[in-house]
Amino acid sequence: MKSMVKKTLIGMGVSAALMGASLAQAEIKIALAGPVSGPVAQYGDMQFIGAEMAIEQINKNGGVNGEKLVGVKYDDACDPKQAVAVANKIVNDGISYVVGHLCSSSTQPASDIYEDEGIVMVTAASTNPDITLQGYELIFRTIGLDSLQGPVAGRFVAESIKPKRMAVIHDKQQYGEGIATAVKSTVEEAGVDVVMFEGITAGDKDFSALVAKLKRNNVDFVYYGGYHPELGLILRQSAELGLDVKFMGPEGVGNKDISAIAGEASEGLLVTLPPSFELDPKNKGLVSAFEKKGQDPSGPFVMPAYAAVQVMADSMNATGSNDPYEVAEHMHKASFSTPIGDVKFDEKGDLTSFNFVVYNWHADGTKSPAK
Amino acid sequence: MSESIFYFLQQIANGLTIGSTYALIAIGYTMVYGIIGMINFAHGEVYMIGTYVAFIALAGLSMLGIDNPFLLIAMALAVSILVASAYGFSIERVAYRPLRGSKRLIALISAIGMSIFLQNYIRLAQGSRDIAMPSMIQGGFLFGDPSGSHIMISYMQVIIMVTTVLCMIGLTLFITRSRMGRACRACAQDIGMTNLLGINSNNVIAVTFVIGAALAAVAGMLLGLYYGVVNPYIGFIAGLKAFTAAVLGGIGSIPGAMLGGLILGISESLTAGYLTAEYKDVVAFSLLVLILLFMPQGILGKPEVEKI
Repeated sequence: MKSMVKKTLIGMGVSAALMGASLAQAEIKIALAGPVSGPVAQYGDMQFIGAEMAIEQINKNGGVNGEKLVGVKYDDACDPKQAVAVANKIVNDGISYVVGHLCSSSTQPASDIYEDEGIVMVTAASTNPDITLQGYELIFRTIGLDSLQGPVAGRFVAESIKPKRMAVIHDKQQYGEGIATAVKSTVEEAGVDVVMFEGITAGDKDFSALVAKLKRNNVDFVYYGGYHPELGLILRQSAELGLDVKFMGPEGVGNKDISAIAGEASEGLLVTLPPSFELDPKNKGLVSAFEKKGQDPSGPFVMPAYAAVQVMADSMNATGSNDPYEVAEHMHKASFSTPIGDVKFDEKGDLTSFNFVVYNWHADGTKSPAK
Repeated sequence: MSESIFYFLQQIANGLTIGSTYALIAIGYTMVYGIIGMINFAHGEVYMIGTYVAFIALAGLSMLGIDNPFLLIAMALAVSILVASAYGFSIERVAYRPLRGSKRLIALISAIGMSIFLQNYIRLAQGSRDIAMPSMIQGGFLFGDPSGSHIMISYMQVIIMVTTVLCMIGLTLFITRSRMGRACRACAQDIGMTNLLGINSNNVIAVTFVIGAALAAVAGMLLGLYYGVVNPYIGFIAGLKAFTAAVLGGIGSIPGAMLGGLILGISESLTAGYLTAEYKDVVAFSLLVLILLFMPQGILGKPEVEKI
């Protein structure tokens, strides 16, 4: 009984606060949820600058239904527990639109909360297929899936590298293990011999035993599913311990920091990334807008984050409504022209098509198309 | 020699490298415990601070135009030891000395608080991202056939092992031969009695903290150079591993900490090499449980010590 009274009181308080908010300011808040701190904060930056640029440009063109968009940053540190806390905070703050989260393991628990609370969420970076498998109506993504990325990487390995003894290593996390499994099954179908399939502990620093094991198994090619802090150290220790083989990783390793950690050892690393949208001639104006602000538009999640904000804003304009359910319904039906190309969502909220491209990574932190 | 022996020796070398650094950090835990019977949980953070200071010193000194890598490393090591020792001294002064004589649990909570404080202070001051440094010393010794079975020990691994051995010899000489060392041993036996005999036990305790911090800084510098990355969170897991090493070897015993560190490092390396890297922590900590079940005092610990 007591708790019911409490709940009612809280409910009244929240709705009063909401009413106050909607009366006081003519603006639509968009929560930008991702890692501001922690080891993968670089990727968070990509998402934030993309989304903020979209908000800025949409506001310049008159905003949404006559109202201004406002981006509010939330830090989940790529930690699933903190992501849930952030999601609850977003609910309490009365925000109905979210761009985020970044890490699949954060997006997964947070998306449950958004769906239940009637909040539209578009992730520009989480690629784990499970996220959209729950049959949600309010959850979308403007990036491809591991189940697409894995086969792209796997086919490239089988057709262009043709390794005789391949190793697949992963960090046991939802993202890394998911993509590593997809790569393994693709290359095995093509007849490549995977002699090692092993997990490491994310956050670990010493991989000398793993490197010795790779050498002993006469591995001639290594695929790593995970993020750059661990792969950077593996590359560095491989170079020091005389393991001279080619490595490949997903977009989670494609970041300038891997060159800072691994130095020369990062030269020639293969990475599957979303295509370089910033090289598309249609995006010239947008790229110069980023450069004017001193920002780098080439990160893999910058343009997808821009597109995430844009599809929400376009749908609000098209429906003339700020109701999340109406907006989501429109997003499922319509097609949008964005910096990442023409975007159309399927019934799960995934893009109907998205290409990953294989790049050669260079020691100075740049990349060039492979082959 | 056959290929499998080379592989075994390679894993032992890798294990000895990482084990040496565990041993260096473990000394700090075991000496403090030996004298005041308390676990200094902030010790892992001192190691982390040592790494940061070394990185900053290396960057600063190379900007000043020093380009000889060995000179650079020696100078950075000195700076790192100095700063970390100052931290060790102040931590004892601020967080533990005022609580001397109160219940042990209170000092323990103070240690945990200190650890959280230091970690977050560094996070705010230096940012929470990984800071990377290019490797300064490349290459290594190769034994055997370069294209066939061989052992590769990098110069950095050799430096880590040699430095650790030198530190251990120095520490043993200090403890067994010097006046201060004798005072340390006396305090470990009976702190009340040493006070009565005119030894200022506060000074001895401060020296213990400074030595522990200095060795942690050496480990921090070495591992920083070896891995090339640092972030504010490395102190927690390194501290936990070193604490395990200290308990494994018998907490309170200095040779025990050295032995415990090496055993832990080798068991991790062999697990990663022969089973799977996923289970290396599982095996290392199971080993701890087993040893404590059958030898509660640790491998080289003295049974009569009961200060918990």
